Amino acid sequence: MQHSKLNRDRKGAASPVKFTRRDLIWLAAGCGASTLFGRQTGSPQSDSLFIEVPTSSSGIEWVHDNAMSPNRYLPETLGPGCAFLDFDNDGWMDIYLVNSGPCDFWKPPKPIRNALYKNNRDGTFTDVTEKAGVTGGTFGMGVAVGDFDNDGWPDMLVTSYGKCILYKNNHDGTFADVTAKAGVASPGWTTSAVWFDYDNDGRLDLFICSFVDYSGGHKFECGDNKLGKHYYCIPRIFKGTASFLYHNNGDGTFTETSKGTDIAKSLGKGLGVVATDINNDGRMDLFVANDTVQDFLYMNRGPGPNGSWKWEEIAMQAEVGFSENGQARSGMGVDAADLNGDGWQDLFVANVDQEMFSVYQNNKDETFRDVAHVEGVAQATRLLSGWGLKYFDYDNDGAIDLILANGHPDDMIDHYSSQVKYKEPMLLFHQGSDGKLHNVSDQGGSAFQKAFAARGLAVGDYNNDGALDVLICNNGGAPVLLKNNAAKGNNWLGIQLEGAACNRDAIGAKIYWTAAGKKRFRLKNNGGSYLSSHDPREVLGIGKAAKIDLLEIYWPAPSKRVDKFTNVPVNSYIRIVEGKGIAT
Amino acid sequence: MYRVAALLLGVSSVYAQNLSSPQDLLKEAIAFQQAGKLDNAIHDYRLLLDKYPDIPEIRSNLGTALAAQGRYTEAVAEYEHALRLKPDKQVRLNLALAYYKSADLVRAADILKDLHDKEPSNVQVITVLADCYLRLGKNKELVDLLTPVQRGDPENRTFNYLLGTALVRDGQAAKGQLIIDKILRNGDSAEARLLMGTTKFMVNDFSGALIDFQKAVELNPNLPDVYSYYGLALLATGDQAGAEKAFRRELKSNPNNFNANLRMGVLLRQDDQNEQALKYLQHALQVRPGDPGVRYQIAALELSQGEVEKAARDLEALVKESPQFTEAHVSLATAYYRQKRKADGDRERAVVARLNAARQAKEPAAKAQ
Repeated sequence: MQHSKLNRDRKGAASPVKFTRRDLIWLAAGCGASTLFGRQTGSPQSDSLFIEVPTSSSGIEWVHDNAMSPNRYLPETLGPGCAFLDFDNDGWMDIYLVNSGPCDFWKPPKPIRNALYKNNRDGTFTDVTEKAGVTGGTFGMGVAVGDFDNDGWPDMLVTSYGKCILYKNNHDGTFADVTAKAGVASPGWTTSAVWFDYDNDGRLDLFICSFVDYSGGHKFECGDNKLGKHYYCIPRIFKGTASFLYHNNGDGTFTETSKGTDIAKSLGKGLGVVATDINNDGRMDLFVANDTVQDFLYMNRGPGPNGSWKWEEIAMQAEVGFSENGQARSGMGVDAADLNGDGWQDLFVANVDQEMFSVYQNNKDETFRDVAHVEGVAQATRLLSGWGLKYFDYDNDGAIDLILANGHPDDMIDHYSSQVKYKEPMLLFHQGSDGKLHNVSDQGGSAFQKAFAARGLAVGDYNNDGALDVLICNNGGAPVLLKNNAAKGNNWLGIQLEGAACNRDAIGAKIYWTAAGKKRFRLKNNGGSYLSSHDPREVLGIGKAAKIDLLEIYWPAPSKRVDKFTNVPVNSYIRIVEGKGIAT
Repeated sequence: MYRVAALLLGVSSVYAQNLSSPQDLLKEAIAFQQAGKLDNAIHDYRLLLDKYPDIPEIRSNLGTALAAQGRYTEAVAEYEHALRLKPDKQVRLNLALAYYKSADLVRAADILKDLHDKEPSNVQVITVLADCYLRLGKNKELVDLLTPVQRGDPENRTFNYLLGTALVRDGQAAKGQLIIDKILRNGDSAEARLLMGTTKFMVNDFSGALIDFQKAVELNPNLPDVYSYYGLALLATGDQAGAEKAFRRELKSNPNNFNANLRMGVLLRQDDQNEQALKYLQHALQVRPGDPGVRYQIAALELSQGEVEKAARDLEALVKESPQFTEAHVSLATAYYRQKRKADGDRERAVVARLNAARQAKEPAAKAQ
């Protein structure tokens, strides 16, 4: 950041700032002057890594209503999430967007709803929400997509301040609300959620983050800010809650199984969750970002006595619970991926301004080391508050890159902090040949020159060109769709894994691909980001290589089957069915 | 200083090889010292002390010469020897100054406080003691010291500046503002800018503070603390490289600046330059012995370097003295877990949970239920 230079430029080097009585009065009030924060330069749109798709082109006219009130109820500032999903199984990614809704502190003055946009396969989308029956009706937060009934059609869980909604896909373009039957309403305030098969029985189970206890009459106990107004309370003042873990019974119902485990014992303020396998034992673990209290790392220790399941919370031992200086931070977005290609899952957590984000490198012994400073991510994120994010290979060179969507939760922050803004720029990092993340945001395109109140972020290839696009959901604003312009010239293979013995979405599958002598690895994690769901397909980048010499799929239990494919042609999507090979 | 000792009158000459008498040698030593030829002066004083080791004035003069060369440890030894032979308030002041210069601010402040109690009007004692308090972060003591002084000399710019700084750093912004007003009457100055910036910094207006610190730097780059605070503001506004440069600049002119040493240590630790980081942190600890924040940083550094046992020992001592230091308990738990001492780690983890629960229970929303 060049703040000192900015300030000089604004004031003028030859005209020193004068002290006045007004300065002193202003000082006594404890308020700060505003200075500009933002990028001053930009790249031409045509050369940009991402191109912002205008609403007029996409047809996505839906706008998030954050229900912002004079009382500044905290749920107003935390949404929304979004998802890429192929709800009609036509091979094209559709979009789901979550909205606020009626609750104990807000009655919408006009009808308000979530939105499902069908992909028209020509770069445009059509709103099919009403017909699909997925309007919501709660004060929605996020969405987690997963095929919980293994019928080959994606279902959706919408989290909320209030209760969750489970939408079962009817295979005809409509959904049914099966929340009551499923037993996953999860009262309170739920945020991010993730589908994963923790007991490897071939069915997707469900973890739902619970945020703070926002019940009762203490919703704005933090008082007024320096402007004499209610503001969005820092969640520190609210009590933490235990998150929910549901086991899929295989009959459309779920059983809450967290009771008695470390999951129930850990009172957190969960905002982000990713399911991944930290220790490569074939069982999916959970990394949970908490706001103002330590983050949690739940290790899946397998079956316990009497049919129970053992979860061990080890964030402190693993050195991912607190900052390097032993402080709990405001964790929001999370992700996991094998960033450095050593076969072990690394983690990421985004925090609020001045806390910096963390890049946790897996030490292969259930501990991690924060390398955010070495990677340059800490410095770049010092003034930002991060929510939606994703480790992904945006240019298909085979190495994992990173995108971060940011925005401060306090809409009045500009009035009393001169360097932190409510709307913040996104950041894009590219992993170079040196294995380090390089901030390439200035090449990102016009969207990276702007500032947003960003929250959710989903990655998906909506135009099926093999280059992963990005959808950002903004609090109180329109979503932003970014078309990937960065992967031209690099080859790729898109794979849709279809589990047969394992869960249909093949969460937990390991993918190895070898091209031009280089072997790469990806674990099919699920969840991550913030309140959002990504395209379930995996795009494997191979750079300039003309083909994939060897593709290996290690399916998760119960089969643990390995399928191998040689000389796989590239630059197209294929569907691979467990034990049956490439589907035609 | 340069107390010509009549004591040597009548002492027989033993320096016949080069000089006719010890008196001549003493005169020569003093002349050398006055001329800045310190090596020669020290040589002569030592020749005299070889023969007359119990003459405090010679020891005191030797101490002064050594201090002028920056050899504070040796100077302190000579001053202390002189004081054992004969108490003398000027020598005590010199001893305090040697401690002050060698960054042993605690000892310096102890002596100066005693001198101030005995002679409250000594401006030099007040000034140096005030600066010790400022550097030690003893803002309340500084306010107590300077409030009556400032009342008696309300236009003294130095005292106004020091008192204003202490008030601001102690969180007494309104009182500090009155002092700032006095300084401002004399026009824009580096001192005023530094104070204004500090006030803004204390209320987390980092960009506003940055403007003032920048101006203070332009007005007087040699003002103590100015680059240190400029660096802190740069760091808070995201310019780590600029901050590091500013801290280095502060340390160039003021090697004993606490904040600059501490922050350099933290920054270098973040960049894995642990050896260098440790030097800065140890220097910060020398300036403020026992400072829990610095001790924690040193322990954290040891932990990141894999010196787990050492870190555990340091953290155990730290949490014993500061049982509410949550971060230290977190790091101690980490150290124990790395040592595979799970039971100890779990115990520290429970302490962290208890401290956090106690903190949470004090929050308004928790109390409301």
